[in-house]
Amino acid sequence: MGTVLRIIVTLLVVALAVFAGRWVWDHYLYSPWTRDGRVRADITVVAPDVSGWVTQLSVRDNEYVQKGEVLFTIDDARYQAAVDEQRAIIEHKQRVWELAQSKYKQALQSDNGEDDSSPNHEAYRIAAEVAKADYKEAESKLKTLLLDLQRTKVEASQSGSVVNLDLRTGNYVQRGKPVLSLVNKDSFYVTGYFEETKLPLVRIGQSATVKLMSSEHTLTGKVVSIGQAIANTSVGHNEQMLPKIQQTFNWVRLAQRIPVDIKLDPVPDNVRLVAGTTVSVHLN
Amino acid sequence: MFEEIAFGGMLFSPLVIFMPVAFLLSVITRLVLYKTGLYQHVWRPAWLEVSLFVCYLAAVVFIAGR
Repeated sequence: MGTVLRIIVTLLVVALAVFAGRWVWDHYLYSPWTRDGRVRADITVVAPDVSGWVTQLSVRDNEYVQKGEVLFTIDDARYQAAVDEQRAIIEHKQRVWELAQSKYKQALQSDNGEDDSSPNHEAYRIAAEVAKADYKEAESKLKTLLLDLQRTKVEASQSGSVVNLDLRTGNYVQRGKPVLSLVNKDSFYVTGYFEETKLPLVRIGQSATVKLMSSEHTLTGKVVSIGQAIANTSVGHNEQMLPKIQQTFNWVRLAQRIPVDIKLDPVPDNVRLVAGTTVSVHLN
Repeated sequence: MFEEIAFGGMLFSPLVIFMPVAFLLSVITRLVLYKTGLYQHVWRPAWLEVSLFVCYLAAVVFIAGR
């Protein structure tokens, strides 16, 4: 074997290796895929609109509920009492109004008897108007109280599954304070966190292959949106609202991740999606 | 096949599998070359071995990645 041939063979293999190595490198670094993906879902946080004790809990943890179904009931004794009280107040105001009206009528008649140029029935008319306004006010307050009474039954605003139910019968719940959450039915989607270096390779409408960590099944989907902003962790501000910028001195800086939302095609029945689980996303 | 390889709850890059496969292939090649006596005729054997390893790795990634 000639020396030249020997040299050529080795150099050929070396040249091939350079190309092959370059291809592997590009494949790993510059093809649009990420291992940093998550299954996500629309979560509705349920908070009661009135405070009180929970008298009846109608759902169990992870139970599926329909829209409008009662989740739990809050003790309504106080709200019922308030409504009764307001009804009595309304009755009272109504009588006051009637009395003022009758006084006005009397004054009108007596004024007609004498031909006085400064009629004193005007004051009675105004008094009757005031009594009427009081009555109307009490009536609208009743509406608010009835709303409170109605909202002692907390209903599901969306169809979905109850998650992480820590609520128990007898717990005191505060108005506006979240007590449980609902995962909205069929609202699952995937967010892939792509490195910023790969962003030019991502476009809306691109088809995606999604592999769940929990199953051998591969799901498919489409890119629907690309995040428009991410937080800058190295910039803050001081008390004078001046920018405070963290000095960068490291040799190695990591590419930041941009969220890319992927809408999933219909999922096979035997695949269970759980919001928060890890997926790999590969864009084609 | 760019997804992780799950093993005992830990997730690995598929390269963890690809690398040893490529290494095994180069060891086999080296043994064959050695047994057949071709090894003596190779110019700069170290260069050839490293290059072969890279080529094998690319081949494994290509085949498994499809």
